[in-house]
Amino acid sequence: MRRLRLLSAILALALIAVSCGDDDGDGSAPQPAAPAVEEPAADPEPAAESEPASEPEPAEEAEPAAEEPEPAAEEPAAEPEPEPEDTPDVAPVGGTLVIALSDDPGHFNPGITTGFNVHAVTGSMFNGLVELDDNANPHPDLAQWWEVSDDSTQYTFHLADGVRWHDGEPMTSADVKFTFENILLNYHSRTKGGLSSILESIDTPDDATVVFNFTQPYAALLQRLNSTEAPILPKHIYEGVDDVQTADANLTPVGTGPFKLESYDIDNEITLVRNDGYFKEGLPYLDRVVFRVIPDQNTQVLALEEGEVDYIWRVPGGEIERLSGDGSITLHNINSGPGGGFCIPTLTFNSEREVFSDLRVRQAIAHAVNREQILAQVIFGQGRVATGPINSQMAFAYTDDVTSYPHDVDRANALLDEAGYASDGTRFSIDLLVFSFGVFPKYAEVMRQNLAEVGIDVEVMPLDRSAFIPKVFTERDFDTNIISYCNNTDPSIGVARMYISSNIGDIPFSNGAAYVNPQIDELFDAAASTPDVARRGELYGEIQKILTAELPYLWLVETQFTAGSGANVRGLQANSGHVAETAFFEE
Amino acid sequence: MRRLIQAVPLVFGASVVTWILIHAAPGDPIVALAGEDGDAGYYAMMRERFGLDRPLHEQLFVYLGRLLQGDLGFSYRQNRSAVGVILDQLPATLLLMVPALAIATVIGISVGTLAAARKNSALDNTARTATLLGHAVPVFWLSQVLLLLFALRFDWFPVQGRNDARADYEGLRAVLDVAHHMVLPIVALVTVYVPPIMRVTRAAVIENLDEMYIRAARARGQSRRRVLIRHALPNAMLPIVTVIGSQIGFMFAGSVLVETVFAWPGLGRLLLSAILARDFAIITAMLLMLSVTIILMNLITDLVYSLLDPRVRHGT
Repeated sequence: MRRLRLLSAILALALIAVSCGDDDGDGSAPQPAAPAVEEPAADPEPAAESEPASEPEPAEEAEPAAEEPEPAAEEPAAEPEPEPEDTPDVAPVGGTLVIALSDDPGHFNPGITTGFNVHAVTGSMFNGLVELDDNANPHPDLAQWWEVSDDSTQYTFHLADGVRWHDGEPMTSADVKFTFENILLNYHSRTKGGLSSILESIDTPDDATVVFNFTQPYAALLQRLNSTEAPILPKHIYEGVDDVQTADANLTPVGTGPFKLESYDIDNEITLVRNDGYFKEGLPYLDRVVFRVIPDQNTQVLALEEGEVDYIWRVPGGEIERLSGDGSITLHNINSGPGGGFCIPTLTFNSEREVFSDLRVRQAIAHAVNREQILAQVIFGQGRVATGPINSQMAFAYTDDVTSYPHDVDRANALLDEAGYASDGTRFSIDLLVFSFGVFPKYAEVMRQNLAEVGIDVEVMPLDRSAFIPKVFTERDFDTNIISYCNNTDPSIGVARMYISSNIGDIPFSNGAAYVNPQIDELFDAAASTPDVARRGELYGEIQKILTAELPYLWLVETQFTAGSGANVRGLQANSGHVAETAFFEE
Repeated sequence: MRRLIQAVPLVFGASVVTWILIHAAPGDPIVALAGEDGDAGYYAMMRERFGLDRPLHEQLFVYLGRLLQGDLGFSYRQNRSAVGVILDQLPATLLLMVPALAIATVIGISVGTLAAARKNSALDNTARTATLLGHAVPVFWLSQVLLLLFALRFDWFPVQGRNDARADYEGLRAVLDVAHHMVLPIVALVTVYVPPIMRVTRAAVIENLDEMYIRAARARGQSRRRVLIRHALPNAMLPIVTVIGSQIGFMFAGSVLVETVFAWPGLGRLLLSAILARDFAIITAMLLMLSVTIILMNLITDLVYSLLDPRVRHGT
């Protein structure tokens, strides 16, 4: 008898375990993006001058012979632009910054994952070749300056001088080559997906120079080289390791970054300590950065209010108004950062379902869904109604010259009548898959109400993340779903994946609508390989026009995240991985 | 000893059932493991790498084969053996659970006994109402109220964690710092543990107070108090021990809700995050350890029975 009880107890526990899902986050990027309202302070002082040997010259005066550094797509930030907006000449040194993290990272190898919790921590221990600002413009990081060939097939990076790994070994171009060839192109899902097919070779003419050669023009490389997309790892540590994914070295990170690992207490806290030999002179200011694992968002907010933590990546929408009146807390508006930026929660129509093969049905739903209501009630005004597949913050690519679908119940009803779905009570029923965490179920609730008004019965199915992904992308067993798709740092990275026909199938966060349009495939291809920014903008404009007319998805709102920090903390640059690099406590 | 041997197939069965359940649930750990935005080839490679592409029955055999060798599996997320991860988290959970259960036992038994002795008195009614409330109030809600009141409003206790993230205490100060952080979670846990102990104690003592031997003792002139403590309570102990024993058994699962709200780094949170990430090895290892603990606790409870009650000892 007791045995039976035990077995049933275990069963019950396992069942609860299986069915429960609570997490916080945001769909395709369940992780808060990092922000920075505050400008990166104190830019890296070119260490170059001190070392005449390797003469890194500013790009403007670069080799007259070679490619003119009129580098097409993205302006090479040749000279670090000091932007000492709110940073005093000498920031107070010292102090421990405590950052709340919603889950344990598990390891510290940023080259083998795109997971947010790993990158949130490793961003302070590793560097990329470049760092990106709020608007995804590149600035020097490990690479002090760079040149891009006219046709965007060759990128040459000149590394900063005197960079050393945390164990004292010098960092060289060999580390960059090794990291790409042996780690990033094999294991970093976005870098592998984006570069492996077009990157021809990586050359290292000398210790301080790295050359990337592409098989075709590629305009978005610089947006892929920050510490999130392409952290540089130490060759001398990982060379010869037979399994990078399970290597012990992943728990004892050796980076080049402003902080190094002091201790790791699983599920509790990760303590980083200042790297006194950091190559950016005078940085960092802080003695320590502690990442404290606090899974519950409300607890994070309370801990921030009490001053137990100094920074939280995301303030829940409902708390923003209350906290904005609290003088001891600074709120930061964020729309980009590690783990996904420029996000648009999007309704996917499964085009393989009969009902959605009719454009009028998709249009009717677009008119029936009240996106203003979603903006107000679901995300508390933190963002704006989306006009199409590209986020308005991505200025060079965005256009509002598209087909729009204002909230209009009559128009929706007329379209459904026209499509032959009689209006006696329920016209038809569909399911709507959403993540069971965060605000996703609220999106679904509003849409269920909206669609009921035009006679469409919606069955909302909340699933936890691990169950949602295979159901949508492997089994393709759904009518509609809501996912927050993030544009990331370039449309070729975050937008194309949802529309190109080669991306249909068993790939998480891919073309879930199973939308096929050869013209769109070509346009995305062309846009990714065109060096000229204006021309790229035109191509993406064209893409937005076609997609809003054909409506394979319905783009709901552009979300903006809000981070919170103690008012005495300045210089945070959470838009980049280096959230704490220039942070300091005001005295 | 015989019972111990009987327990072996039980544990085995439990582990197979939990393994199948968790694998039958939709989802796999690949995205949690590899991150997003990869291409199909990448995910296929990752699945192969971790043996997730093999048929389920094959995976089960691999699991059982390793289990027989004492290997409870490898955690994908933590990149090391599941047992190591679990043992690392165990002390933190015990640090909360043991004092909470001890306090709850003392409160539950004493209040329950008093309530029984003064059945239907004001004390009894208050205690009964309080336990009913304790039963009914969701513990995560209670935890948040505790936080709002005692951490935010009165500022007596810290909001989260096991220690102050900024301070670098040593020695006694470190101990006091941890103790300070333990107070609110323990209060929350005690309110969960007290009601069943108190109710069972009260019922069992009341039942015993009606027995003839109590009247006989009273007739011999023993005081009410002595009768209550020396005669009624010991005789009521068996069901109380059962309740406490089962709570100890489940103790090793930690408390998901309390640990989550207070950001206490224990087993409950480990289990939850493992489930969300489909970190199969951690889930199955924890459920296995849990079932072993519960079976052991049942054995121990039986032993305690025979110590407490000569009738059990002599098999009458």
